[in-house]
Amino acid sequence: MTDTLQRPYVARPEAVDPVISMVDVGMTYPNGKVALVDVNVSIPEGDFVFLVGPSGAGKSTFIRLLIREQLPTTGRVVVAGRDLSTMRRGQVPSLRRRIGIVFQDFRLLPAKTVYENVAFALEVTGATNGEIRRRVPRLLNLVGLHEHDDHLPAQLSGGEQQRTAIARALVHDPAMLIADEPTGNLDPVTSWDLIQLLIQINAMGTTVLMATHNQEIVNAMRRRVLALEHGTLVRDESSAAYEREY
Amino acid sequence: MRPFRFIAFAVVRAWQGFWRNAMMSLAATSTVVLMLVLLSGLLIVLAGLDSGLHYIESKVGVTARLQDSLPQPQLDTLLADIRALPGVSRADYISPDDALNRLKEFYQEQGQTLDLGGAPISLYASVEISLTDPNFAESVQSALGERPEVERITTRQVDYAKLLSIVGYVRTVGFIALALVGLTVLFMIVNMIRIAVYSRSGEIEIMRLVGASDSFIRWPFILEGILCGVIGAVVTIILVAVAWEPIKPIMVRVFQMPTAVSTDFLAVLSAVILGVGLGVGAVGSWISVRANLSSAT
Repeated sequence: MTDTLQRPYVARPEAVDPVISMVDVGMTYPNGKVALVDVNVSIPEGDFVFLVGPSGAGKSTFIRLLIREQLPTTGRVVVAGRDLSTMRRGQVPSLRRRIGIVFQDFRLLPAKTVYENVAFALEVTGATNGEIRRRVPRLLNLVGLHEHDDHLPAQLSGGEQQRTAIARALVHDPAMLIADEPTGNLDPVTSWDLIQLLIQINAMGTTVLMATHNQEIVNAMRRRVLALEHGTLVRDESSAAYEREY
Repeated sequence: MRPFRFIAFAVVRAWQGFWRNAMMSLAATSTVVLMLVLLSGLLIVLAGLDSGLHYIESKVGVTARLQDSLPQPQLDTLLADIRALPGVSRADYISPDDALNRLKEFYQEQGQTLDLGGAPISLYASVEISLTDPNFAESVQSALGERPEVERITTRQVDYAKLLSIVGYVRTVGFIALALVGLTVLFMIVNMIRIAVYSRSGEIEIMRLVGASDSFIRWPFILEGILCGVIGAVVTIILVAVAWEPIKPIMVRVFQMPTAVSTDFLAVLSAVILGVGLGVGAVGSWISVRANLSSAT
């Protein structure tokens, strides 16, 4: 932990096992760029956490480590009880079914309808037609798109596209949902609608980690905030604002 | 993983992928057809030459026409003496009845019937001598000339070594040409799959993120390459089957390929075409998938 932290991180007494645990995690890319330095984080199941920081602070690397797109140079990353450093390649798909992820640019398949985009995530993991028919409408109902299931992404607003992406991220009932700048392409009103949906998902027991630059949302929500600067975790506060208030 | 779901998914996706980049797929399939037609042509020519060689080889030797009605003890002694001669690998007694049966079979192979009009026919008895080396023909002939039981001697000799070298040359040149075409086909299939991978990079990324296993991601592409090879093979088999009718009589008459062998040959050739098409498709797509999807972590 660096001395830039005013309140050094102290492990919280958790009632439940952490769904994410990072211990002394460092990440340096082959070109020498240092992305993360000695990051220690523990996120318990059911938490709602904002990951904030300027561009280049290490937020994307933080997320890539969690979904095991990359392995840390040093330290340990444990997600849903599994140490990602020792995880075999063949076990990665089952890890990713425990993590839902949405991005700023939605990443929907343009030639598929809303229903097909969500069903695709089940289809490619070997779900039966019966499972697909049972689960997809339920998820579209949850995100409020059951009446748009035959629409193509191009026929939807940005908020509706992001809701489709969220429905797709939830198809495997993940333990956690990672949202990387989910409101980045949305207007303020639509952004708040989306946040309401994330709150609802969190209330159902899914841990939510949201990387964002949206100060208004972070300040209004007053949830736990992890702040990264130059790869270092400079702040880890509960009920916090976007920027330091002391 | 449910195997049936996986197979159905991979096959459907491969089929969709094949037609999604139809121009590239058809170009690759056409080169597969070209390669397999060349392979078929080469195998047909080689099979003909091999048949011809076997025929010629079987005819290299000496035939001794015998006097009529030789007593059995004398015949046995003669056969034993011939078999003891240097350079003789085999000596077979052909009775007049055997000779007549052979004549009938020959006519049958040509699609005709030996019609003697009921007249009695008597052919000569003979000894057919096979040699370990055609160079022994002269010494065997002179040894037979001293035997009173032998009425006439016929030597069948060709420049076998020269023929063999011609066949070897055809085989080498043919397979080199085939290897070059094969490499082109591999390149085409590798490229076809590479383009397919890039055109579906968005889907692949989503598949990885939602937890699709490597098999779900890779096998549709591998099957797409196999599909290209199999479609190419089926087209080639149809072309060869159509062409086989005019080719077959040439194989029988010119290259002396036995009728039974020529009938089986098409089935064997079809199996080889299918196997090679499937193999080239699988290897090409496997190489491409390894190269372009290796970063799947």
